[in-house]
Amino acid sequence: MTEAVTSTVEKVEAPAQRKGLTARGVAFVALQRYGLLVLFVLTIAVFSALLPDSFATVLNFRNIAGNQAVLAIVSLAAIIPLICGHFDLSIGAVLGLTSVATAALFSKYAAPMWVAVPAGVAIGALIGLFNGLLIARLHVNALITTLGTATVLTGLVTLYTDGQSILTGIPALLTDLGSGTWLGIPCTLYFLGLVALFTWYLLEHTPFGRYLHAVGSNPIAARLVGLKVDRLVIQSFVVSGALVGFGGVLQVARQGSGNPQVGVFFLMPALSAAFLGATSIQPGRFNVPGTILAVFFLATSVSGLSLLGVDNWVEAIFNGTALVIAVALSTVLSRRQAGQS
Amino acid sequence: MTLELKRGEIHALVGNNGSGKSTLIKILAGVYAADPGGTIEIGGQRFDASRFTPEHAQKQGLHFVHQIPALFPMLSVAENMAIGRGFELAGPQRIDWKKQKERAQALIQRFHIHATPDAPVMFLEPADRTLVAIARALQDQEHEHHGVLFLADPTAALPGPEVERLLATLRRYASAGQTIVYVSHRLDEVLRATDRVSALRDGRHAGTVDTKGLDETKLIELILGQSVERAAASGAAHTEREPVLSVRNLRGGSMSSISFELGRGEIVGLAGLLGSGTSQILRTLFGAEPPVGGEVLLEGKPFAPLHPADAIAARVAYLPPDRTLEASFSALSVRTNLSATDVGRYFQGLRLRHDRERNEVLDAVKSFQIRTATDEQPLSTLSGGNQQKVVLARWLRDRQKVLLLDEPTQGVAAHARREIHGFLREAARAGTGLLVVSSDFEELVELCDRVLVVVEGRIAGEVRPPELDSHRLTELAHFTGAA
Repeated sequence: MTEAVTSTVEKVEAPAQRKGLTARGVAFVALQRYGLLVLFVLTIAVFSALLPDSFATVLNFRNIAGNQAVLAIVSLAAIIPLICGHFDLSIGAVLGLTSVATAALFSKYAAPMWVAVPAGVAIGALIGLFNGLLIARLHVNALITTLGTATVLTGLVTLYTDGQSILTGIPALLTDLGSGTWLGIPCTLYFLGLVALFTWYLLEHTPFGRYLHAVGSNPIAARLVGLKVDRLVIQSFVVSGALVGFGGVLQVARQGSGNPQVGVFFLMPALSAAFLGATSIQPGRFNVPGTILAVFFLATSVSGLSLLGVDNWVEAIFNGTALVIAVALSTVLSRRQAGQS
Repeated sequence: MTLELKRGEIHALVGNNGSGKSTLIKILAGVYAADPGGTIEIGGQRFDASRFTPEHAQKQGLHFVHQIPALFPMLSVAENMAIGRGFELAGPQRIDWKKQKERAQALIQRFHIHATPDAPVMFLEPADRTLVAIARALQDQEHEHHGVLFLADPTAALPGPEVERLLATLRRYASAGQTIVYVSHRLDEVLRATDRVSALRDGRHAGTVDTKGLDETKLIELILGQSVERAAASGAAHTEREPVLSVRNLRGGSMSSISFELGRGEIVGLAGLLGSGTSQILRTLFGAEPPVGGEVLLEGKPFAPLHPADAIAARVAYLPPDRTLEASFSALSVRTNLSATDVGRYFQGLRLRHDRERNEVLDAVKSFQIRTATDEQPLSTLSGGNQQKVVLARWLRDRQKVLLLDEPTQGVAAHARREIHGFLREAARAGTGLLVVSSDFEELVELCDRVLVVVEGRIAGEVRPPELDSHRLTELAHFTGAA
């Protein structure tokens, strides 16, 4: 019985990984890596069995996928500074600002697409630059810096919009993209695919990504192997900000409006997904596939629960619990890897 | 080990690294348990040394103040003095600030501290910070002086004039009846400030003598247990080979003026005591700390790195003394650790060639005999010696012009140490110049072609074979030139 289990697991593992590990060790590693994936599949199976007519429909899956694309992009943006060892609590507020700014450019200034879309991305990158400069050059704590930036930005957006969404003047081309499908798959998912590919490439296939991991692991050692730590931290915030800006544009496309109150709904779920993602696929380290898996696991669970008739408050409780458990798990995992258990 | 202290004296405790000074202190503090059979007698009361606890030490008035005193820099002098002891209270839990400040003011006067009760400790001079810690420890034994104050290297972090003030203040405490044990490797201070000296050697009490009548040579003889001849510092630290690195009048921090040459393929050691400036020489040459002045030539061309990246680009590499803190990425893989500094060379055709990186890492794992299951293993899962080989292989797998090594085999098992020495000699044969700092002078004797002795930020002398042995290095490292 045991042998049968391990032999299937071994097929999954690269041969080199197997060396020096016991069969139980291999099973343990596999469970860590693919535990969340298994949980995800189980969740879908259970809700499908319970709600065959509402949950297990093409429409519902299409909805979940389409709605979560922006959150997934924001989560991917969050992991870049996290890899470097810094929290970014401004991602929600930046998403709100960039979506309002993009919508305002369309609606009040009748800006063409090629101006408004890059502008949204650029605004995100600029705020990232500001955060990064404060954190890396002045050594202000990242939590405080980004919390402060987030609060100020939220205030500025409210001042500008008076709390009202910008509804008019959004080009149909954009909103069609946001709500449409290509080959039966929501268009927003393709954009998520692009961003995921870019982030994965950046983090795993460029020296830059490797340097970020080194800085996050030991900034003192990073400097002593010749890395410009300050510059890398700033760059991580800039790239992250630009991605959130892109998310803001996509949010306008999806909602058909610029909603100034949208930010708060993104911060906590994005961080939950980032930390939950760090417990799977490449356990102990923030990673792209893990993060995307976590976003869709959380969204599917919440969707299933609300279709079961559970009230709205469940989403907050579910996301919060997931964040705490995920942070605890990923802390334990990375501490074990650092040999300090 | 037998040691006797008189009331109201300043008693110096001296000895080499590993002679047992800190073990003795830790037993007296109740941190370590002594082997059974010993006794500690304080003011007529006897204790079994194997059962001496921190509570005993506290009750008997044994107080310990360390090199960097445990203070709270943001809090005021008055607050620092109250923490651990308790505040003056006006109600069940309300602090009586007026009384607390009066108390602090009284202590400030009694212990000759230059400060006001409200001043945050971070704004005090270093000597005053030490005095605040002393005052905090001694505050409750108003006029009794029955206790003993242990000071461990209290001047290591102090600039010159501050040292004078601290010593003068300590003398005043002693003449008021306070017994002080002064642990230090600065022999000039021992000679100037103490009444008697006890030397420890290899875990034994080697002798106690009156300080009066001692000079530096006699004190070193007491520490080493053999007669020494004070030879003039020989050589001007030149190399006979083609120099790869020439350092002239390098200054900054604890370096007052450093000049020497390092030849191609040569292994040169830097021997010095704690705080002599050896580590700083390496860090400055690597661009990790800015120099104040001086000139460095690398292969005859001016070399002034502003950041480690500049030094690395010029093929000057550095191994820090504390691997976990400064060199390793514990949670990352062996592979990532090995190519941490030059992963950019595998970025070809817009992607990281993981296959090529992996092959070269596996080559390095093989040639440096690194024992690891795979190259994907987190570094922390390897033994200390193998981790050290990984951080060394980072630099050694390429040819460097200069290797700056601080404690290259610290915390490494004997066989791994031999292997590492082998790799270093190989690098030297290939033409790299090696500059090695080690607190283990035996290691310098084993490894180096010649050794420069650094005393108080200067090159005090050079030792070459056949005179090169660890006693000779210890001797020279202690001479400060004081009478």
